[in-house]
Amino acid sequence: MSTSPAVATRRLPGVEGVWVFVLADMCFFGVLFVSFMQERIKQGALFETARHTLNPDFGGINTLILLTSSWFVVLAVDAAKRDRLATIPKLLLAAMLCGIAFGISKAIEYGGKLAAGITPMSNDFYMFYFSLTGIHLLHVIGGCVMLTVFWLKARRGEFDSRNMKVLESGATYWHMVDLLWIFLFPLLYLLR
Amino acid sequence: MNPTQPNPVDYSMWKLMAWTGPIFFIGFFCMWGLLGSNFPPMAANTSAQDMWQHYKDLQTPIMIGMSVCMVLGSCYMTFGAAVSRVMRRIEGGEGMLANIEMTGATITYCPIVVACGIWLTIALQIDVLSPEMVQTLYYLGWMIVDLAYMVTSWQIIAAAIVFLRDKRAKPLVPAWVCWWGFVTVASFFPVSLIPFFKTGPFAFHGMFNFWIAFPTWYIWIVSMSVFIIKAVNRIEIEDGAASPSAVREQSGSLIGAR
Repeated sequence: MSTSPAVATRRLPGVEGVWVFVLADMCFFGVLFVSFMQERIKQGALFETARHTLNPDFGGINTLILLTSSWFVVLAVDAAKRDRLATIPKLLLAAMLCGIAFGISKAIEYGGKLAAGITPMSNDFYMFYFSLTGIHLLHVIGGCVMLTVFWLKARRGEFDSRNMKVLESGATYWHMVDLLWIFLFPLLYLLR
Repeated sequence: MNPTQPNPVDYSMWKLMAWTGPIFFIGFFCMWGLLGSNFPPMAANTSAQDMWQHYKDLQTPIMIGMSVCMVLGSCYMTFGAAVSRVMRRIEGGEGMLANIEMTGATITYCPIVVACGIWLTIALQIDVLSPEMVQTLYYLGWMIVDLAYMVTSWQIIAAAIVFLRDKRAKPLVPAWVCWWGFVTVASFFPVSLIPFFKTGPFAFHGMFNFWIAFPTWYIWIVSMSVFIIKAVNRIEIEDGAASPSAVREQSGSLIGAR
C-alpha cells in the first residue's frame, strides 16, 4: 500500500506588487535607522540624555496596541479563509480602532513634547524622533484609511475564501507597519 | 454641411511623444546632474561665501546646464501626454485618472522650469549678487522643486491605479512598475522636512531626500518610459494598423514590440 504525500502548495499572500512596496519601504526605513545609528555614535552623550526625556510607557503601550491590531487583522484573514463572513468586518473594525488609538497616543505624546518646548529643531535626537515616528505615523494613518475601506467592503461581503488577495495585501502592509514600530521602539526609547 | 472627417490614430506622433520620456531622463542626468554639478548637490549647510564661490567657479557649465534643462523639462509634459493616451485605452475615454496623470505631468514641469531658472539666474548674475542673496536663491530653487512633489505623486498614483486595472493577459505596464510608483510616492513624503534640516538624511542634499527620493523617481521614469514605448507598439498591433514585424522594424533594435 502506498500513500502519496500531500503536496503543500505554497504561495505568496496577497499580490506580488505589495511585496515590492513593503521591501522597498523597509529598505527606506533601514537607511534611516542606519543614519540614526551613525549620528548616535557621533553624539552619544546628547542622544542618551535626550532619550531619557522620552516616556517608554508610551512606546510600550503603542507596541501593544499595534501588535493587537495586527492580531485582529490575522484573525480577519483567517475568518475570510473559513468563510465566516459576519466576523470579518468586526475584526477589521477592531484593527482600525487600534490604529486610531495609536494615533491618539502619539498625538498626546507629541503634545507633551511640544508643550515642554521640545521640537524637531531642538537637537539631532529630536529631529530623528519626530521624523521617524512622524513618517511611521503617516503609514499608520494610511493603514487606518485602508482598514476603513476594507471594513466597508467586508460589510458588503466582498471578502471570502475565494476573494482574499486584496485583504491579504492589506494585511501584509499592516504587519509591516507593526514590524517597523517594533524596530523603532527600542531604537528610540530603549537603546542605551 | 461639414463632411465627416476621418479620425485615424496618429501612432507616429504618439511614439514620438513616448520617446520624449528617455529624452527627459537622459537629458536631465547629463545637463542637471553632471554639467550642473548636482551629483551631489551643494549641501544645505554650505556657507553663503562658499555657495557664491561655487557659482563663480562653475558659472558657465551651470548656465548651459540649467538653460538646457529649462527646455528639456517640457519633455516631461509630452511624455505625460503619451502615458495618458495609453491609460485611456484601459480606462476608457471618460476616465478621470488619465486626465490627472497628464495634468500632473504638465504641472510637474512648472517647478522644474522655475527652479532651473532661479539657479540659472544666480550663475548669470553672480558678479552682482551678495553671498547671502546667492544662498537665499539657491534655497528657493530647492524649496520649489522639492516641495511640489505632491503634484507628481498624483500623476504617479493615477498611472499606477489604471495600469494595475489592465485586464490583458500580459498588461501593457507590468504590476511591479505600478507598485514601484507607490514606492516612489512613499519616498516623496519625507521631502516635506527639507525646510527644517540643513544636515542629516532629511536635508535636501541628504541621504534620504536626495539619494533615495530622486533615484526612486528616476527609476520610475525610466521603467515607465520603456513600457510606454512598448505599449504604443502593442496597441498599434492590437488595432491592426501594423504587423508585428513592421512595428519592430519601425521601432529599431532598441525596443521592439512583444
